[in-house]
Order: sequence, then C-alpha cells, then structure tokens
Amino acid sequence: MSLLEVKGLTVRFGGLVALDRVDVAVDRGETLGVIGPNGSGKTTLFNALTGLYAAVSGEIKFLERSLSGLEAHTIARRGIARTFQSSRLCRELSVFDNILIGMHAHRRTGLLDSILRRGRLRSEMRQAVERAAHLLSLFNGELPGRGFERVGQLPQIDRRRVEICRALASRPRLLLLDEPSAGMNPEETAELMTDLQIVREEMPGLSVIIIEHDMFVIEGVSQRVVAFNYGRKIAEGSFAAVAAHDEVRAAYLGRESVRA
Amino acid sequence: MILVWLAEAALFVLIVAGILAERPLTLAAVALAIVIAGALLRLVTPLRSTLARAFGRHRTAALLGGAALALVLPVTLRSSPYWTFVATLALLYVTTGQGLNLQIGTAGVINLAGAAFAGLGGYSVGLLTVKTGWPPWLAAAVAPWVAVAVGTLLFVPILKTRGHYLALVTIAFVFIFNILMNNLEFTGGPQGIKNIPTLRLGGHAFTARLTLFGVDLPAHANFYYAALATAGLTTWILGRLHDSWLGLALNTLRDDEIAARCCGVSLTREKLIAFSIGNFFIGLGGALYAVMVGFVSPPDFDFGYSLIMLSVIIIGGVDSIGGVVLGACLLLPLPERFRFLHEYRLLLYGLVIVVMLLYRPRGLWPAGIRGYR
Repeated sequence: MSLLEVKGLTVRFGGLVALDRVDVAVDRGETLGVIGPNGSGKTTLFNALTGLYAAVSGEIKFLERSLSGLEAHTIARRGIARTFQSSRLCRELSVFDNILIGMHAHRRTGLLDSILRRGRLRSEMRQAVERAAHLLSLFNGELPGRGFERVGQLPQIDRRRVEICRALASRPRLLLLDEPSAGMNPEETAELMTDLQIVREEMPGLSVIIIEHDMFVIEGVSQRVVAFNYGRKIAEGSFAAVAAHDEVRAAYLGRESVRA
Repeated sequence: MILVWLAEAALFVLIVAGILAERPLTLAAVALAIVIAGALLRLVTPLRSTLARAFGRHRTAALLGGAALALVLPVTLRSSPYWTFVATLALLYVTTGQGLNLQIGTAGVINLAGAAFAGLGGYSVGLLTVKTGWPPWLAAAVAPWVAVAVGTLLFVPILKTRGHYLALVTIAFVFIFNILMNNLEFTGGPQGIKNIPTLRLGGHAFTARLTLFGVDLPAHANFYYAALATAGLTTWILGRLHDSWLGLALNTLRDDEIAARCCGVSLTREKLIAFSIGNFFIGLGGALYAVMVGFVSPPDFDFGYSLIMLSVIIIGGVDSIGGVVLGACLLLPLPERFRFLHEYRLLLYGLVIVVMLLYRPRGLWPAGIRGYR
C-alpha cells in the first residue's frame, strides 16, 4: 500500500493548466525523483500536496486519508514536511528557533503553562533544543554550537541544512525537497548528496520526493523517477529508463523539426 | 551585583535630577552629565562590556533594583504632583505598549488602531460606572474584554489583508471609533463622559493624598502604584509569552507566513490569540486612564495616540519586551520637559522616529535571541 497516492490531480491558474490529470504514488521508505523543464509543474505539485494551492479536480490520499480541501497547517500535522526552492528561513531568528518551529505542532504546553507553569515549558524547550542540536549535528558537527546565532549569518549550504532540519523536526512521514541544490556549486552539491544519504540512514521509514535539475543528484538518491512537461507526467520508471525516454529527451533538448 | 545597583542608582539620580531641575543652569548641568555618561558608555568599551556582563549575570538583582527604584520614585517626586502624573502616564503606556508590541512587533499585525482599543477600554469604564453604576474596579476589570470582543469582530478584515492594507483598515477603524464617539448620544458626544468615580482600596479613595511610612505623597501616587503594578504584571506576562511557543510561532508567521503554515502553524488561530491578548492589555491601559483622570472624551483617543503608542515600540525596539518599557519611560516624560516649545514639541516625535528608523531601526533596546534558559 502506498503512503501517498495522487490520482488525476489538476491545478489551473485562470486559463493555464499547471497540472493536468497527474497520477503519482510514493511507497513507504521510497525516494521519488521529479524532473522536468522549468514551468513543467513540479513545484506546483508540491504546492498542491502541501495545501498551498487548491486542486480543481483529482484526489490526494495520504496514509489512506484524503487531503482534499485541508489547510496547509493541517496537512503539515498529518506528516508532510517540505523545503522550498529559495530559502524560506526567518533570517532574524536564531538557528534553533528556525528548527523549533518544526516541532510547534507537537508541543505539549499551552499558553497558561507558558505563564504560570514555567518549569514545564522550560523542560520541554530544553528537550526541543537538544533534538534540534542532534539534527544539526547529523550534517555538520559545528552547527549545534552556532544554534543561538541568527540564521542569516550561516553560509548557504548550512542554511539549506537548517531548512532540512526544520522539516525533519516535525517527524514527517513524507519529506518534499524542492530543488535542494539550487544555487550551489559542485562541491556543495556533493556535500548535499552526502547529507541526503545521512537522512536516508537516520530515518529509513521516511519517504522522500525530490525535485532536482542536477541529474547526478537524481541518479544518486532516487529509486524511481517521474518526468513532467507542460503539467503532464510524461514518463515514469528507473532513472535510466526515464532518461532514455523519447519525450523526456525532447522536453529537455527539443525535437528536430521535420520539414515536409 | 553592587555594580549593577550602582549603575541603576546613577541612572535614577540623573533622571530625577533631569525632571526636578528648575533653573536653566541646573538643567544644563544635568543635561551635560547625561551626555557625558552616554558618551562614556559609547566610547569606553571596557566600561560598557563590564556593565553588560554584570547585568547579564545578575538579572534578578537588576530587576529587584529597578523595582525598588520604581517604588521610591513618587517619594522623590512628591513636591510635584504633575510629574507623578506624567510618570503614571508613562507606566500606562508600558501596559498598552506591551499589548501593541505583541501585535505589531511579535506577530507583524500592523495595528494602528491602538487609540481605538484603549478608547474602548476607557469608554466602557465610563459607561459602566456612570450610566449603570458599576463599581469602578469591576468596570475596569470588564472593560478590556470589551476591547477584545470588538477586536474579534474586526479580525475578519484583518485576517484578509496584509502590510499596508492592514494598516489602512486599522486606521479606518480609529476614525470610525472617533466619529461614533463624537456623534453618539449615549457616549456624551464631543463632551465625553464626566465624573467617572475613582478607585478605592479598603476605604482609601485614590483621589486622597497617600501617606506611606510617614511620607506624605500627592494623590496621583495612588494611581502611580496601581499603574506600576499593572505595568509590571503585564510586562511579566508578555515576557513569558514572548519566550514560548506562542512568541516563536508569531515571529515565524511575521517573517514567513508560508513557511510557518507548512510547519503546521495555524495562521488564524495564532494571529487571533495575539490580536486578542494585545487588545486586552491596550484596553486595560485605556480603562486605567479613565479611572485616573475621571473623564473620557473623543480627543483622548484620536489617531495621534495610536502614533504615540507606535513610537514607543519603534524607539524602544520592535518585538523587544524591555524596549517597550524603555520606550515608554523615555517618550512620555521627554516631551513634557520640552513644553516651552509649545505645540512644536509634537514635531519632536516625528523627528525622533525618523532618526531612529534611519540609524537604529531595531530600537534602543533591540530584541534579543530566545535563550530557553
């Protein structure tokens, strides 16, 4: 039984069909790669899955329950976490604060505890900070020591790591990574692939959907690949099979026009 | 620890001397002393870092020292009921400022209707006591809830707008409130509501002179202590809320709504909580104002007061709990000192805000990083 099952998902912006009857499924523990040219609907798929966009038609089933019409925060609490193409960290807040917000949905103390039963809040927060430090240390042993600095002071690769930690902090079942290598040089991209490997080993049950333009990353981390073009799914299968697919090659390289 | 208290005492002496100095020469001497002290702090790095470390290590001592000095202040000001009144006003602005700071600073809900919510508190006290004969303390306890209730109604358009548009919606609300108060018969129209009964504590009316440990204090000292207790409690509560899940969720919503929602933060719920708690304390400040001056009228709650509340936050430090206290204690008394400039002193507000936004956009006491200790 798949963890996520998307059937006939259609998203429209006015006259533009951003997603056209898309079917996608992800199994438990599987990593699915998503490729396609710019504007082919990859990020739109993520935005529809996380409740930021409303689908015109189609069905999204997660853990055998429908996600249709749910608000973004409810979907997040059901166990879908994501990162964004361009960083969406709060630069003025500390590294720890940026990760702790991922645990907000699991908090056990309320407003009255915060004011009157401070001990409870404090011990909960201490545990949360410890867990955030642990997540950071998976990627970079020096990061936990910088936990109380503003996140804007970190280099790009570490900020991406913080974003992944924030997503993992919510203990998701499904992790959506939207072009994690965007804006990185080859060395940083290689580090990123190691990071993703670490996530796999730490959380073997976690399912991942990753959007990437870097084919080495896709080949290295995903067990299965789907390709998009103009909002439609044009190919699905192993990386080799999808990469060799005629339509995929045409989408990336263009088709030779045949003059009659 | 001694160092902390010495620093606080020195600051206190400078402030009191600045307030009480009558002759131009003494005033100039005090101003010079303040400038020298400021320059010393700014230029002599070891002095500054020693003080900063001392305050960081002895937090409780610093708070106790500050509280003790705040308790003593009316005694040093006893020759001047007027300055006791100004100090009380500053404390009321601490209360409203903390409420507004939760909305504007922490949650990023630009509410420029602070005056209207304070007015709702003030007018509720006036109506409940004068028209229905409730005891003033009960009216003052219920009035903030009126501000919360009206705020909840206003929350629908607030949730749907952001940034500049949100500011416009709230500005419109202040004007609606003012026009209504000016024209409604049962709120007294432009005359407002007069003869609001004063608070009493165990038979002691707050309008009578106060004698504490043999020291005779002007009647305003009663309200000073009431406002001090309220401001202290408000600051304590909002400080704790700021360093909790609520503060964190609101900060994240303020900086990136989409990221916050995708982390499971409910936009509607958290913003409504922030807006309501904020309005409660703004309304509470207005209610205390009404029982203190015994009179409310539309000009007491016009748009200009929204701007003063906003200035308190900008000067102190957006999202900074300590900054609000500092901002209110600076911004309310200072223009009074410049009364000789007449109406032009209001220009000072504008000037100070422009200078602050240009050179210290985070305020005099910038918001720190949550330490979770």
